[in-house]
Amino acid sequence: MDAKLTPIRKGLLEFLVLKIVGTRSVYVPDILRRLAGTEFATQEGTLYPLLSKLRREELVKYEWQESESGPPRKYYQLTESGRTQLAALDDYWQQINRTVADIGR
Amino acid sequence: MKRIATTVVLNRSSIQVDDAANARLEAYLADAARTLDGNPDREEILGDLEQAVADQCTRRLPPGESIVTLAVLEPGLAEIGPLQVPGATPDVPPATSAARSPIGRPLQQISEGAVIAGVCHGVARYMGLDVTLVRVLALILLFLTGGAAILVYAGLMLLLPYAPAEPGAPAIRKLPLKCRELVLFLRSKLTALTS
Repeated sequence: MDAKLTPIRKGLLEFLVLKIVGTRSVYVPDILRRLAGTEFATQEGTLYPLLSKLRREELVKYEWQESESGPPRKYYQLTESGRTQLAALDDYWQQINRTVADIGR
Repeated sequence: MKRIATTVVLNRSSIQVDDAANARLEAYLADAARTLDGNPDREEILGDLEQAVADQCTRRLPPGESIVTLAVLEPGLAEIGPLQVPGATPDVPPATSAARSPIGRPLQQISEGAVIAGVCHGVARYMGLDVTLVRVLALILLFLTGGAAILVYAGLMLLLPYAPAEPGAPAIRKLPLKCRELVLFLRSKLTALTS
């Protein structure tokens, strides 16, 4: 059962990360905390490569912020095209939801 | 017994590890580097990963302790989890950006086994000719033009992209490597100038 659900989760993770980064400037532990306890709970080993890819695609950007303890942290934000992409994904997601609900009635 | 600790610099932090933890950490990072081979974000991800390990170890060190042991490191690595690279990054071989001959070979300079920079070899491969023939023709051209052909060579040496190293190819001789360093240096200066 779970093996069939894994690809769905994996495919949606990028969407959800964009959503979280879209709410405010966040650093990786913020993202991990937001996803912890949901179906999409994930780890740094997954997030770093994903965030690097999103940054290369210019959907997110980051800036360094000093922290009281330890080295400066990377805080991520959406770029303009990141916002456009997120809006498009959101629309598409609504559309898919309707289709899924309609089919098989 | 005295425990010997090694200082390891991880991205923007440094930690002290004992021998067992050091070996484990090295293996972990080497494995991550292998996983990221060919990934365009390799260096960035490795830096982030190193920082994550340093943060985990610092957070997990018991009060009063300064040396990271396996007992500290392992749960930290477990929390970071396996490196999962998003599957949607299509591999674009670097050769596609180079000019291609009708038979589909890119015009590149081939550092391996080169006499100077490997331009003749690259041209020979591009045109489907024998390397030695092209080299002899280049020499004849050099004499006929009274040395002016060397400018063409230098131009190609500066402009042509490098062919990726092929497995089993003869080792790069000292001289071409110097050429390559020179070209890369000049290119970096040029990009610094233009930007």
